[in-house]
Parts: sequence; C-alpha cells; structure tokens
Amino acid sequence: MKASVRPYAFSVVGVACALAIWQVLAEAKIAGNALPPATTVFSTLATILGTGTFWSSLGATIGIALLALALAAVAGVAIGLLVGSFESVKYATLAVLEFLKPVPPIVILPLAVLVLGPTAEMSLFLVVFGCLLPIVMQTVDGVQGTDPVARDTARSYGMGEGEILARVVLPSAMPYIGTAMRVAAPAALVVTVVAGLLGGGPGLGQNIYQAQAAGDYASLYGLVIVLGVLGLLFQGVTRLAERRVLHWHESYREAVPR
Amino acid sequence: MSNSLSTRNRKSTMAQQPKTRLSASTPRLDVAHLAKTYGSGGKARTVIEDLTFTVDAGEVVCIVGPSGVGKTTLLKCLAGLQPATSGRAAIDGRTISGPPPEMALVFQDYNRSLMPWLTVRKNLVLPLRHLKLSAAELRERCDGALAAVGLSHADNQYPWQLSGGMQQRVAIARALAYRPEILIMDEPFASVDAQTRFDLEDLCLKIRRDFNMTILVVTHDIDEAVYLADRVVVLGSRPARVLKVVDVDLPGPRDQITTRSLPEFARQRTEVLSLIKRPA
Amino acid sequence: MRNWVIGIAAPVLLLVAWWFLSANSTDPFFPPLETIIVRFRELWLFEHFQSDVLLSLGNLFLGFAIAAIAGIALGFATALVAPVRWMMDPLIHFLRGIPPVALVPIFISLIGFGTQMRVTSIALAALFPTMIATVDGIRSVSSDLMDVAKVYRLTRKERVLDVLLPAATPQIFSGLQVSLQVAFIVMIASEMLGSSQGIGAMTLLAQQSFMTADMWAGILLLGVIGFLVNILFSLLRRKVLSWYIGSRRLARAS
Repeated sequence: MKASVRPYAFSVVGVACALAIWQVLAEAKIAGNALPPATTVFSTLATILGTGTFWSSLGATIGIALLALALAAVAGVAIGLLVGSFESVKYATLAVLEFLKPVPPIVILPLAVLVLGPTAEMSLFLVVFGCLLPIVMQTVDGVQGTDPVARDTARSYGMGEGEILARVVLPSAMPYIGTAMRVAAPAALVVTVVAGLLGGGPGLGQNIYQAQAAGDYASLYGLVIVLGVLGLLFQGVTRLAERRVLHWHESYREAVPR
Repeated sequence: MSNSLSTRNRKSTMAQQPKTRLSASTPRLDVAHLAKTYGSGGKARTVIEDLTFTVDAGEVVCIVGPSGVGKTTLLKCLAGLQPATSGRAAIDGRTISGPPPEMALVFQDYNRSLMPWLTVRKNLVLPLRHLKLSAAELRERCDGALAAVGLSHADNQYPWQLSGGMQQRVAIARALAYRPEILIMDEPFASVDAQTRFDLEDLCLKIRRDFNMTILVVTHDIDEAVYLADRVVVLGSRPARVLKVVDVDLPGPRDQITTRSLPEFARQRTEVLSLIKRPA
Repeated sequence: MRNWVIGIAAPVLLLVAWWFLSANSTDPFFPPLETIIVRFRELWLFEHFQSDVLLSLGNLFLGFAIAAIAGIALGFATALVAPVRWMMDPLIHFLRGIPPVALVPIFISLIGFGTQMRVTSIALAALFPTMIATVDGIRSVSSDLMDVAKVYRLTRKERVLDVLLPAATPQIFSGLQVSLQVAFIVMIASEMLGSSQGIGAMTLLAQQSFMTADMWAGILLLGVIGFLVNILFSLLRRKVLSWYIGSRRLARAS
C-alpha cells in the first residue's frame, strides 16, 4: 500500500518544487519583468478565463484544428487509396511526396499569408497541408499491407473492385489511418497555433503574439499553460478515440511501421 | 527423501570423470528448503514451496516437471537474480545472494538473450571484458568456445542472421567462453527443431566431458532429461516441490540411437513419466 | 523499369510545367520560376550565404546537438532513477503538450533576440521528443537481456553503456528524428519572430515587403534544407542501426 503511493507523492513533490523554484526565481527578478511569479500568472490566467475574447479565441483554435483535421482526413484517405491502389500513380507521386514529407508547414507560411492574408482560411490551409501527407503516407502503407489472400478471397466471392476497396482494403488500412490520425491531431493544434503566432491567423497563437508584443508577460505565460493543457487533451482524446474505433483490431498498437 | 541421495553411490560411468569436489560432505550446489512466494498478504502466490536437492561436482542433473511449475523461478533463485523467500541455495557451502562468479546461465529464449547489435564474437566477448584478460587469451577463449559448438565460421555474423539452433549454440558458446564451473540451462532446446535438439543434447554431453563442468538442465522433455542426466529431479506442481530424485543408470558414452533404444532407457523414462502423470 | 521511368519523369514534368506556365506570369503571387531561380542564386549562394544560410544551419545543428545529448542523458537519468522519474513524469507530460513554437515568445522575453535565444529555443524545444523516447526505449529493454547482463556480472557502467544504450537506440533514433523536425521548425519560427537574420527572417521579410520572388526563393531553400537534413539523418540512422534494420527485414520476410 505504502509503496504504491510513493510515486504519486514524488510527483506532487516534483510539481511543487517546480512551482516553488519558479516563484523564487521570479521574486528574485532574475529576468526582470519577463518572468512573472507563478502566483501572478495564475491570477492573470483566472482573469483571462473570465473574458469572452479568450473563449472565442479558444473556440477558433479548436474549430480550425478540427475542421482542418477532418478535411485532411477525407482528402488524405482518398489520395492514399488512389496512390496505394495503382503502381503507376504511386511511382509518379513518389518523388514529390518524399520531398514534401520532411518539409513542415511553417516553410510555406509566408506564401500562405501572402496569398490568403492573416485569416482563418490561411490557418486552415496550413493545417491541412501539415496533416495531409502523414495521412496519405500511412494510408498507402495500409493499402499495400492488405493481406493479398483476403483480397483474392473477396474476388473469388465475386466482389467488384469498388466493393473490395470499401469492404476489404479500407478496413484493413484502418489501423494505419488511426495511427496517422493520432499523430496528426496534436500536430493540427500545433500548426493552428503557429499560423496564429507567426501568420496572424485567429486563435490563441495570435493572442500569444499580442501578449508578447505588448510585454504582457503574465498573460503570455498563462496562455502557454492553456496550450499545454489543450495539447494534453488533444493527445488524450485522440488516443481514446483510436482505441474505441479500433477496439476490434487486436494489433492496432503494433501498426506503427515508421 | 532427496537428502539421502547425496550419499548414494556414484555411477560406474562417472567414475572415469576427474572430480574436483571440496570434500565428500559438501555438494557443489546445495538447495535446501528453498521457497519462493511472490507478493504478500491476500495476493501472495507461492510458486516454490519447499525444494531440497543437491548437485555434485561434475554431474549432469536435469530438473523436469509440468510446465508452469516454477522451474524458471527456481533457476532465477539459483542464479542470484531473485532472492529466495526462505530456505537457501548454496555453492560450495556459500549461500547465493547475487550472481555467483563461477556460474553461467543459458536462457530459454535465445533470440532474447543474445545482443542483436553485436556480432557472434562480440557477444562472446561482452561478458569477458571486465575480467581484463589479455588479447591472446580473449581470442583463445572465443575461438575455443566457437569451435566447441561448431560455429567457427560464423563469428562475424549477427545472431539474427543465424538459425534458431545456431543462435542457441552461440548462447552456449558465450557460456563456455566465460569458463564457468557450473552451467545452468533453462529449457535450452525447447524452441529448436528435433534434429538440432539431438545435436545440442550431444553438445551438452560433450561439454561435460571436455570441460568437466557441473551442469544443471531444466526441461519439460522427459526423454531429454533421462538421456542427459546422471540424476533427474522430478518436480510436482503448484507449488513446486520435489516428488523424487531418480538415479539414471545408463552406460556411457551415451548415443542418441543406442542409448535411447536401451530397455533401461525406456524403464527410466516410464518411471519419471509416471511420477509426473500421477495426480499429486 | 517502367515504374522508375514514371517515377523520374513525373517530377521532371512537374518542374517543366511550372517553368512554362509561369514563364510570362505577371501574377504578383506567382512569379516566373526563372525569376525565382535567379533570385535563389543571387540571394543564397552569394549575398547572404554566410550571414544567413550558415547562421541558420549553425543554430540548427548546435541546438539539435545540445538537445540530443541532453535529451539522451536526461532520459537515462529519468528512466534509471525511480524518484527522478516520479518527479519528472507530470512535468514532462505537461511540457510535451505545449506546442514547441509557443515557447519561442517566452524565450524571446527571457533572453532577447540574439543567437543565444535561438539556440536555446531550438535546444529546449527539441529536447523532449528525444528524452521521452529514451525513457520509453530503456523501459522497454527486455528483462531477459538485463538478466543476461546480471548473470555474467557486467559492471554497472557496462550494463548502461553496452546493454541499455544499444538496446534503446532504435527508439532513441525515432525520438531524434522528431527532435530534428522540431529543431527545424523552431529554427524558422525563432527567426521569423525575433530576428532580422537567418533564412526564416529573410523569407518573412521578403513576403512583408512584397518581394515575391525572394520569398519563393526562401521557401525553396527551406524546403531543400528540410529534405536534405532528413536524408542525412536517415543515412546516419542506417549506419548506426544497421543491425536493427537488418534484423527487422529478416523478421518481416519470415
């Protein structure tokens, strides 16, 4: 009994220590006003949470992330099925996909801002760009990982190509797609924040930029804490959703080839 | 009942083996009233209740019992990987409290006991490094061990490039290069095919002959136990306890075909089998 | 064979199409590819090579190197010393939830706009993926392997450096790959947010002053760097983890 409590006790001590160190460093003004005390940050955070602007920013951030994620999922799976089903399409797109894969959306942020301006559409575009490729790549892997025996069996039962795609290929690619979504969901949030912070798109990223530019450091820290919590929620919810959707698939945990 | 066995007569086939016993009264490996319980209170699970047996120097002893009897737990206690709950295991009269320097262990699962990032030779060298041997001695030990298991040609390959039987031979070679006085093997031939199994059993007997080691083998294969052992310790299950220690009286040198076709072999395996099959 | 022809022809065709379709473009957003390439050469290969390109890459590699070494070391400390793990766990999880780029404004306010800030931002943001992967890697080392190490009486140093470290390398490398991506992103973000130097700053500046061809040249350069850095990393991984890649390939084939 005692031994099982100990980790939690240490966790509490760890968090308390971190807060205490923060408080002491801030009170000692080691970074001037740039490091506000923890107490100030949390009281500012409480004030922020009472304002309507905060909640509309939060709504914008979550809304953009989720909408873009949905768009990227639909488009990504469609493109992935196409690329994965035809050898020639796969080879034709190979070079482009491989080149774009390690290129993060922040690279094309200037272009997006130039063409679309500091708008929600700009954020949406960047998030879709950022989430699309991982989903496409994983879907392709999933399609190519389909058991050929299952495919042949379906064909021998007289299923058409479309039916095979919907009933055999897609379900067996689901674990891969689930993995891609689990990676893409937190990334969607990150890119939404980046688009706001650097490109002026609506949402919490923009608020952080404004707080920093105005020297309102307590708000800056408060908002970053909100983002941390939000990030944890996104990770937790997607993991839960993946487990629920893919509960039938015993091996969904192993389906992480990359 | 097993205590009486340490004073038994030695087999005539064993008489030719040079003995390195400390004294007639101290067995090489002495397990006395060993018990192991996991957890405590209501969730306590007793895996081993009360085990007593001995292994004399230069002997091959096999431990057989139904699967899940706690054989691996016993070996972990003997190897000093886990402390016993009560009773003791001792080497030459010294209680085992940590991995003993004169002991090597060959694990059941070769593909999880060899380092996949090291070549065969480097796998052999790894346990020898802290012994601060000279380069020549290091090379000689590895060459000798690899030659003994017939893998001299494979020393620069990675374990995962070899077949299961070859990997288990690498694990045995690693133990040989370590030059232990006591070699313990945990179901060493369980996951290899039948032909390889025979080869590895003979390898085990050859090691005993060439290196004069004391060998303890855990197995669930009764034929294998009878074929290999001077004595077979038969365990009963849940929790594990010694049912009987069977003296195997087969002439040597043993041979897969002639030994296994002896009526005596059949009689002894029947004896062991009936002990295990009999409801406890 | 046919597939490789398609594979090479498709991107070439794409570039050729871009070249001709944009040749006489007067669209302010999409200048001719020729103009972009000319500007690319003028900007990055001569004028700003040392002042911006080398500066950015130097920050990237320095920050990443610090993150890699500190991440692996902290990961080992966290995984091997239980009290440290219990204390760090909630903090790590919380910090992991924060988008790395959101930390940049904080570092700007704490350290200012200099090179120091950028390297610190890159190093700290890139630290977590490696650290978390290292912890996971060490904790998933099979107990069989550790039993082998104990039975053969390896010293504590040998157990850490010769068993745990290599056994955890595959996972550490996955972490390093994510760290490298994060380092690249934060490099760009730190330049865009708080600097007039570096490729990211130049690119954003070009966009803000409507020098579209310069902006395109910047995007192209960043894309190429992202791609090349990833390739370099893959080559390193293939070298260090050849045993792992080989054994996985064999396991899959059987």
